[in-house]
Amino acid sequence: MSSVALLLTPLWLSWKNDFVRGGGSWSRRLVLIALAVGFWLGTYLVIRRVLRYFETVYDLGPGLAYQLLLIILLTFLAMLLFSNLVASLSTFFLARDLELLHAAPLSPDGFFYARLITTTINSSWMVLFFSLPIFAAYGTVFGGGFALYLWIALILPLFLVIPAAVSILLTHLLVYCLPAKRIRDILFFIGLFAFIVMYFLFRMSQPERLVQPESFGNFMQFLRAMETPSSPFLPSSWSAEILAGTLFDRDTEQGFFFALLASYALFLPLATSWACGAVYFDGWSKAQESRQGRRKLLWLDRVLGRITWFFPAPTRAIIVKDIKTFLRDTTQWSQLFLLLALIVVYLYNFKVLPLDRSPMPAGTIRTVVSFANLALAGFVLSAVAVRFAFPAISLEGKAFWILQSSPVSLRALLWSKFGLISAPLLALGALLVFLSNLMLQVPPWMMALSLITVCLMTFGIAAIGVGFGALYPNFNFDNAAEIPTSFGGAVSMIVSIVFIAVVVMVEAWPIYQLAIASLRPGRVIAPTLWLIAPSMAIVVALTAAVVALSLRAGLRRLEQLRD
Amino acid sequence: MIQLINLTKHYGKVAAVDGLDLDVPKGQIFGFLGPNGAGKTTTIRVMMGILKATAGQVLLDGQDVVAAAQQAKAIAGFIPDRPFIYEKLSGSEFLEFVGKLHRVDGERLGRRIAELLEYLELTYWKDELVESYSHGMKQRLVVCAALIHKPRILIVDEPMVGMDPKGARTIKDLFRALAANGTTVFLSTHSISVAEEICHRIGIIQKGRLIACGTMSELHQRAAGRHGNLESVFLELTREQERGPHPAERAG
Repeated sequence: MSSVALLLTPLWLSWKNDFVRGGGSWSRRLVLIALAVGFWLGTYLVIRRVLRYFETVYDLGPGLAYQLLLIILLTFLAMLLFSNLVASLSTFFLARDLELLHAAPLSPDGFFYARLITTTINSSWMVLFFSLPIFAAYGTVFGGGFALYLWIALILPLFLVIPAAVSILLTHLLVYCLPAKRIRDILFFIGLFAFIVMYFLFRMSQPERLVQPESFGNFMQFLRAMETPSSPFLPSSWSAEILAGTLFDRDTEQGFFFALLASYALFLPLATSWACGAVYFDGWSKAQESRQGRRKLLWLDRVLGRITWFFPAPTRAIIVKDIKTFLRDTTQWSQLFLLLALIVVYLYNFKVLPLDRSPMPAGTIRTVVSFANLALAGFVLSAVAVRFAFPAISLEGKAFWILQSSPVSLRALLWSKFGLISAPLLALGALLVFLSNLMLQVPPWMMALSLITVCLMTFGIAAIGVGFGALYPNFNFDNAAEIPTSFGGAVSMIVSIVFIAVVVMVEAWPIYQLAIASLRPGRVIAPTLWLIAPSMAIVVALTAAVVALSLRAGLRRLEQLRD
Repeated sequence: MIQLINLTKHYGKVAAVDGLDLDVPKGQIFGFLGPNGAGKTTTIRVMMGILKATAGQVLLDGQDVVAAAQQAKAIAGFIPDRPFIYEKLSGSEFLEFVGKLHRVDGERLGRRIAELLEYLELTYWKDELVESYSHGMKQRLVVCAALIHKPRILIVDEPMVGMDPKGARTIKDLFRALAANGTTVFLSTHSISVAEEICHRIGIIQKGRLIACGTMSELHQRAAGRHGNLESVFLELTREQERGPHPAERAG
């Protein structure tokens, strides 16, 4: 057995064992499978609907569909670059089996290629999963038949390997070049790099041009722009060219672009293996030195002491411990970069929204979009809460016995977690809604209504995150990042979304009345209190119930752990 | 069999191991003793090629652990202080994997796994996932893994942590039997009683430097011969160099 295949056996054996005898009951698995199928079908139907709509636009259909394909592949490329950076840092430098493997008589090449495959699989399976319904939708709408799926099968492995090799090379160079004890700084740079790459890739694709044909000199220029990639040196563009040849019957050099893709997919891993072979052991040795102590940050203690002075001493101790742990755990705080990128892209979308070309009155469409934005902000908050609130209890890990054996009630523990998570979530939710409303230029009453609603929603979402995190605790995690992706994380996300949907539905009626009223000429569209007050009261009551029930459910589960 | 030549390892400006020279002959159990943070784990990691030395050389049966890494590692077995085992693999799957890493294959591997599991009383649990093992069982499984390829050199870091008395006795007997058959055992520990009981020769490390090395009687002489046991000798030898905690090797 080759060393590469041998080194991959723990990976597939772990999967197999997890599937056959671990990983919870069949009902859980069925829920997860149903969720996956639901997402798959949802993605397929939405993309198919969009493509069908494009098809109706005379002459522009294939151009628009091609541009969408470019954007999708570019987004995948950016995601792959970032996830491979994070994954390769773990697989090459932080994984717990590295000592075992380094003590074994392994060839460096075997080790490198096994880790390259592991990194690629770990980082790419989700992209692969979501890309298939998208390609299927393209195939349904534009045809292409067997040739399309053959091309996809040929392209995808190459498309996945290129960013993996680039990211692995970058990780090695970062670990090698930066001074020892700097793993946190490395992650900082990785986050920053990913953010910049995502931003530029997004800007390079210029999606706003698709809805602004007047920004082109003439129609032909617009049409030409529609049919050419905006960034011809990226593997995403080469892949799009190959697929476009089959999908839209375009006269593209499929063979040339495939050769280009294949040559890079073969050359980059080889070049990376040489470069990494030269620097790996030095980098790995340096990475171990990060295990030394750190200096005490007195200013941090002072700041934390001041902002938590009003809490009882035990609650304060828990909050200060959680904040310090968060700041010192790179796997946690480095996710803030993703959050930052998300906010920028989120707000950018509002900036380029073509509201002026809507057939509806500007005031009405702004109110409607602002209201829809509430649901969107709620969704973003839910995603953030699953990342940060859901793991709050599990992150106590194997040290949970310390809290269990201390004179702190579990209720106080849950409330301190809830308080700690709610504060930054509130700031995020308010910021998202305030800035997007500012860009939409909504009337003051809508601004006030949105801010109050998002604040209430945040409390509910934070409580669901913390409560369900306690309901499905995992104190034996290998990697903190795996906690939110568990079954409990999925349940927490679903409950959160249902909560948001109910809040939005409750408020939809008064907003609908106001929007309809504004369509009648000469009507004043200021809301009256009686119209909004009942739904606000319902939302307040609903939020209080969700907070109380979620935390109570979590508390019961934690108490059962003593049994 | 084991040679450390001017071995030095710096963490930033701190010397965790500082010019260590050592020679351990074949079939000897060498006890590597020192207080917490003395540099024991760092030395062992460098010996196994897990860490890169800042200067100096490690030779395992004449093979340089950096220049001829694969050859050196092929003849050595390693038992770390905090063993990592793939939690989602069963005990026998884990041993099979490690055996194949060391190019032990086929029927020979199957026989060896059965033999080791039997000796360390893990046969009943061999098909259970490692995540269900107790700490002591995981320790014993790691010992099995280290011996799967019949190494000529066994490098052990704190072997008795978390072991019950019976398990500890089994391991000590095992080390004695291995040494009697020609295997060289390099044993890092801060348990003086373990070192006293089974080691032929003992080296005492403090702040990265070897401050004493020899048989029990040689160490007694070195400490002016006034002391009855190794604990007193150890305390006497380390006392004069005690200058507060050493930052090196905090992890280990």
